[in-house]
Amino acid sequence: MQTITIIPQVGIPDHLIGEVKSKLAYVDEAIIKAQIDESGREIKLELRHPMEETSLKHLEEKVQQVVSTMTQGAIQPKIQVLEDNMAVLTPYCNDPTEELIQQCELHGETAGVFTLGPMLTRLIEFFEENFITLAASFEAKPYRFPTLIPARYLERVNYFRAFPHSLTFATHLREDLDAIDHFAQHAACDESGHLNQPPESFAKIQTLLSPAVCYHLYFSLADKPLPGGKMVATAVGNCFRYEAINLTSLERLWNFTMREIIFIGDKDFVLENREISRQRMARAFKDIGLAYRVETANDPFFIGEFRKQAAFQSAFQLKYEIRARLPFKESTLAVGSYNYHQDFFGRHLNITLPDGSPVHTGCTAFGLERMAYAFLCQYGTDFKQWPDVVREYVYG
Amino acid sequence: MDINIPLIEQVQAALAEALQTPIDEISPELALGDLPQWDSMGHMEVMMVLEQKFGIEINADTISALISVPAICDYIEKK
Repeated sequence: MQTITIIPQVGIPDHLIGEVKSKLAYVDEAIIKAQIDESGREIKLELRHPMEETSLKHLEEKVQQVVSTMTQGAIQPKIQVLEDNMAVLTPYCNDPTEELIQQCELHGETAGVFTLGPMLTRLIEFFEENFITLAASFEAKPYRFPTLIPARYLERVNYFRAFPHSLTFATHLREDLDAIDHFAQHAACDESGHLNQPPESFAKIQTLLSPAVCYHLYFSLADKPLPGGKMVATAVGNCFRYEAINLTSLERLWNFTMREIIFIGDKDFVLENREISRQRMARAFKDIGLAYRVETANDPFFIGEFRKQAAFQSAFQLKYEIRARLPFKESTLAVGSYNYHQDFFGRHLNITLPDGSPVHTGCTAFGLERMAYAFLCQYGTDFKQWPDVVREYVYG
Repeated sequence: MDINIPLIEQVQAALAEALQTPIDEISPELALGDLPQWDSMGHMEVMMVLEQKFGIEINADTISALISVPAICDYIEKK
């Protein structure tokens, strides 16, 4: 292992420190930990193995490129807090991860991939019931979507350019008897868990693991008028977002589950229902006793032109995040969001209103594992400390 | 900024440049969303051109306020 210090040529503003740090994870495979000091003037990187001088120089150039691209012309977001329930008293202030592992409630398979035990599963079902109740209040139609999504779908909505770093690809062996036989005879994993087969054994990539739930609905409606001019739908699904070394505990999962309530119609219909869903969930979170706030936010676009969209999202309040308190680290975790996409999907996928104009879309989305994790960070794994409504559901 | 050219024409020219659109498509009432090019990405291009040509600071307030030709003209005149 090797630790290096890099002084960025441009100071990193306070509001960008977290975002730059998370992007450093994608700079080089050798990086296993990235830290930025509070002043934004010093970056420390832990490397998997010692590097030669030329490689180190190249690494530093890449780091400087990330910092300068992200900071030059960066626009400080104006964060508006819509709900603040951070002062709710909660009894626990440790990270429950180790306890959950010891109780066989949590088993890590690989970075960001976990199996969950009965208590965590019931806890997630409790939150799910709240979200399904919310969906029912809008008479949302239930849908089931696949885990795979065609590459051409994501291409059509510019996902490759906006979030290339977080994509997860799916492939299979080529339809070739020799390749299949060779795989069957020789396939094995090395000590790092990497499969030893050559890339030529695998078919070209046509599908990915889906990064979001609502895209599937929009594609099912593409290239035609929306019947009735409005709809509300709901679905739960597996989502995949690769986050490299940022994949830690239940806070950041590569494979997670998301419940979405999706609104499609004209602008007023979508914005009104997004707001109603926020107000209804505020009451539900109060009953649960969750310490959280809701504030304006933006998606984690990759460095590049799409970062401008982050400033746009923030300025127009297109995204509100539900950020639950993590008392053990005096921090918060996004456990859900209320999103308005304007007519982005309507335009790109040619979904139209009765007057021929593109539909507007929005969704209310909840990360189920994060929801359970945030709750346990606030209330611990001892159910005697839990609010009655949660304990009674989970343990009867 | 050229004081010999009416402000609205200068703003229309700036938008045409930012949105890579013929100037005759930039009507005096044009607003964000009226042209396919004036979407979220296009709007940020508009903001950058306005910054270069008129010294308008890009921040959350200006991004959300300068969403039409009249709004941009009003803002520059008051500035």
